[in-house]
Amino acid sequence: MLAAYILLIAIVSLLTTRATPEIWGYYMVEGGGNFPITHWENVIGRSRSADINIPLNIVSNNHALLIRRDEDKWMIKDLGSKNGTKVNGFDLDPQKRYIIGPGDQIDMGGVIATITPPSIEETRNNRFMRRLDKEPVHPWKILLAITVFQILTIVQLVIGMGEEMTASALLSIVLLCAVMWAYVMFFHATGRRGFEMEMIAFFLSTINLAVTASSDPGIVLKEFIAILLGLALLIFMCIFMQDLNRTRRIKPVLIGLSIVALLINLIFGTAKYGATNWIRVGAITVQPSELVKLAFILIGAGALEELYDRKNTVVYALFSLFCLGCLAMMSDFGTALIFFATYLVVSFLRSGDISRFALTAVAAGAMGLIVLRFKPYIASRFDAWGHVWEPEFMDDLGYQQTRTMSFGAGGGMLGLGAGNGSLKYVGASNTDLVFGFVMEEWGFIIAVLLVLCIATLSVFAVMHIVAGRSTFYTILACSAATMFLVQTMLNVFGAIDLFPLTGVTFPFVSTGGTSLMTSWAMLAYFKAADMRRNAGLGAGREE
Amino acid sequence: MRKQEKRAVICLIMALMLVAGLGIFGYRLVKHGGEWATFYGNTQIYTDGAINRGTVTDRNGVELLSCTPEGFDYTDDYELRVATVHAVGDPLGNVSTGAITVFRSQLIGYDLLNGTYDASANGKKIALTIDANANRAAYEALAGRTGTVGVYNWKTGEIVCMVSTPGFDPAYEEETVDDGEPIYFNNFLSGLITPGSTFKLVTSAAVIDKMDNRDSFTYDCDGINQIGDTKESRLIDVSAHGEVDFREALAQSCNGAFGALTREVGAKAMKEYTEKAGLTKPIDVDGIETAAGVFDFPDNDDIRLSWAGIGQAGDMVNPCAMMVYMGAIANGGEAVQPTLIKSATFLKDITGGKSLGRYLDQDTAGELRSMMKNNVVENYGEGNFPGLDIYAKSGTAEGESYQPDAWFVGFTDSEESPYAFVVWVKGGGYGAQAAAPIANRVLQTLGSGGE
Repeated sequence: MLAAYILLIAIVSLLTTRATPEIWGYYMVEGGGNFPITHWENVIGRSRSADINIPLNIVSNNHALLIRRDEDKWMIKDLGSKNGTKVNGFDLDPQKRYIIGPGDQIDMGGVIATITPPSIEETRNNRFMRRLDKEPVHPWKILLAITVFQILTIVQLVIGMGEEMTASALLSIVLLCAVMWAYVMFFHATGRRGFEMEMIAFFLSTINLAVTASSDPGIVLKEFIAILLGLALLIFMCIFMQDLNRTRRIKPVLIGLSIVALLINLIFGTAKYGATNWIRVGAITVQPSELVKLAFILIGAGALEELYDRKNTVVYALFSLFCLGCLAMMSDFGTALIFFATYLVVSFLRSGDISRFALTAVAAGAMGLIVLRFKPYIASRFDAWGHVWEPEFMDDLGYQQTRTMSFGAGGGMLGLGAGNGSLKYVGASNTDLVFGFVMEEWGFIIAVLLVLCIATLSVFAVMHIVAGRSTFYTILACSAATMFLVQTMLNVFGAIDLFPLTGVTFPFVSTGGTSLMTSWAMLAYFKAADMRRNAGLGAGREE
Repeated sequence: MRKQEKRAVICLIMALMLVAGLGIFGYRLVKHGGEWATFYGNTQIYTDGAINRGTVTDRNGVELLSCTPEGFDYTDDYELRVATVHAVGDPLGNVSTGAITVFRSQLIGYDLLNGTYDASANGKKIALTIDANANRAAYEALAGRTGTVGVYNWKTGEIVCMVSTPGFDPAYEEETVDDGEPIYFNNFLSGLITPGSTFKLVTSAAVIDKMDNRDSFTYDCDGINQIGDTKESRLIDVSAHGEVDFREALAQSCNGAFGALTREVGAKAMKEYTEKAGLTKPIDVDGIETAAGVFDFPDNDDIRLSWAGIGQAGDMVNPCAMMVYMGAIANGGEAVQPTLIKSATFLKDITGGKSLGRYLDQDTAGELRSMMKNNVVENYGEGNFPGLDIYAKSGTAEGESYQPDAWFVGFTDSEESPYAFVVWVKGGGYGAQAAAPIANRVLQTLGSGGE
């Protein structure tokens, strides 16, 4: 019940708050009208979906880009329009950037306009409006609820497991609680608001520790350290991504690092459950493909300007192909599918081209069939798909799924209690089958809420990009959401036989250090898109 | 930017897919959760493949079986174990009609809210409707012969006695020697047996409804009753009954007369009344389906039709279905669904069990009842059933054995004991002699509330 309360507050808060767009200036057309500029990146054109829509035939569909640079500096770039663009009578070279300011005369085939900054009064009004926005909920109540939940978890684990429970496992949960308070108190003190996403992540992480404690108490501390690292990475990334240009410049470096990481994995990787996606460094095992996920999202994102740059798109496509190839060679088809789905969504966001979207999907489907032909062990999973309860598969290829459903159903709506489950004796129960694990020990209601949390994060991302500043952040949030969603679908639906079992992790909840850390770091992409007042970690405070 | 914002809807679509998938699973969970949770792979409730919690008792709370993590703990009474094995079930799950198998999810105590969570870890207690003493009495009375005894309350539908032999001792199942006898088979629920003369109660129903001139019907029985040229076309009787009317024909169980009556009402009516009597369809007994009877009434073969009308030829009846038909006659034509689990409420005692619909018109049932009483008075002797208001029909069927199979079916009618019963003894010989005493002994046990 407590868990339901926590999650519902956070979910409702994320879904009901909404940011008012800010107005950065006006695009005043002579004798035409006054267009407010609500984004940092704008397309000027005749197309109805253009941000500044000038419905005159003389203007091309996507005529030019207008991008905010500074308080009163704007960058303009002609997109190869038919009638060209002039600034103060000077013909602009297409595809070249020019800096302009308020008062400069922009001429698009005879449509003359100037940019004017918003008046001081307007700016003040705007600030006022934003202050009227519904404040994100105060974190204290939820924090307290999660803390109580954590205490109850510890009590249940001690009752359920008795002697088998280790001190370090319980200590990890206590430490997680301390870190949670420290994190929120620190950022609250520095004026930040809106911690729902972190609250959700802390809650999911608590379940992660409980699941791990129940199945393998010895490695709970490791999981906790992964959370810490993930949190640190999250804070670092939020601050780093504050500067859009800096973030864009890091892309080539990330491409290089990702390639190296995947190659190392291919050469030195060790196999686990059929997929060779692990490398061992001393006592630690790392899953490089998880880390590459982070880079993959960043590399796919682009500012509006880059989206009109063919070279940028080609580089992304080639990089995606490389990643997919490596993952296929590692036999990690679940992760490959996640990458591919993310690639599809990102290229759709970039180009909006549905036919290409469909074509790529069909081509991939054909490739998939070829893979099935040559990898019989993958094909055999498809045989069992949808038939796991048939005697032929029940104790064989459908073993994990039937156990997931059987033990999961045994948990009912309310669960048997942390530490009391038996699914833990089935292989990969705390990773691939974690949905059933949670169903058995925590009940169906909480298991559903976990999935709804992931769904909420993505819905939130979509709702808040309306006030986004750059397509860069929009794409970041959407592809992070896609990754979470696809991963959750593959994990949950695979375990309950709606999809073939592919063996991917449930974000935050599945046991596994690298995956957990990546999930946390991935939050940075949502935080970067959070345009509510003072919600971002990196942004300076607004008075 | 606006374009990208619009395209972001794709994320919403995926989120919807995720929620929709969860919805599908939720639906499946509600529908199949019980099956899933009670699947033998669930080690919470199975130890070495055997269910480890739950208790089965008889209707009076006599413990028949308790399931523990150490194994199955049956009652100490050997005779009771064997007498109830087909109702309770066996450790290896060979008996498909056993409570362990059929009522598994109730035993485990699964429900959607709590799953298999069980604070006491002892599982639930299921009270069967059977009476341990009645079962023991029936088992003793069958005295080692193959057969079955079924008794149920035709008002509430509760099966108070269900014994099938040969049985076996479930506590020592591993040591049971399989000598080819179908020991795991429940004759009462799953058997299909030649009904013999008991089927004349179905033919009689058709005669009552279809022959308005039945009161003037007479037949002169010479004991051989040749109706064709061949040896097979004789409807031989034990003795020559002489001239009998309809009522007398049933009391004497005259094959010759019933052959003539069958030909009179015709194949179509015979088929209709067999179906109306519920003998051709399976009956649902708390999830166990009884076997469906098989009958054939050819309209172009008088000899075969005559044999079918007296319960021979290819006729096959399920004992439970026959018992329910007896209940329908007792209950004024309306049949009540039999049940094996005692319901916790007293409501059933007042409102009666679930109806299976009307098998017979009230008047038809009334006439049959009177004729069945006449059978007892004229033929079986009321003195053989002291203290019982009993209505019955015997049967002597040419079955697989050298000796004919003995049947005794019918009902009693009193406020405390409204019981319909069926007794079948394979190779038992003459029906009234072999099977009637068994029925009497069980009914006496039930009436006295135990021996």
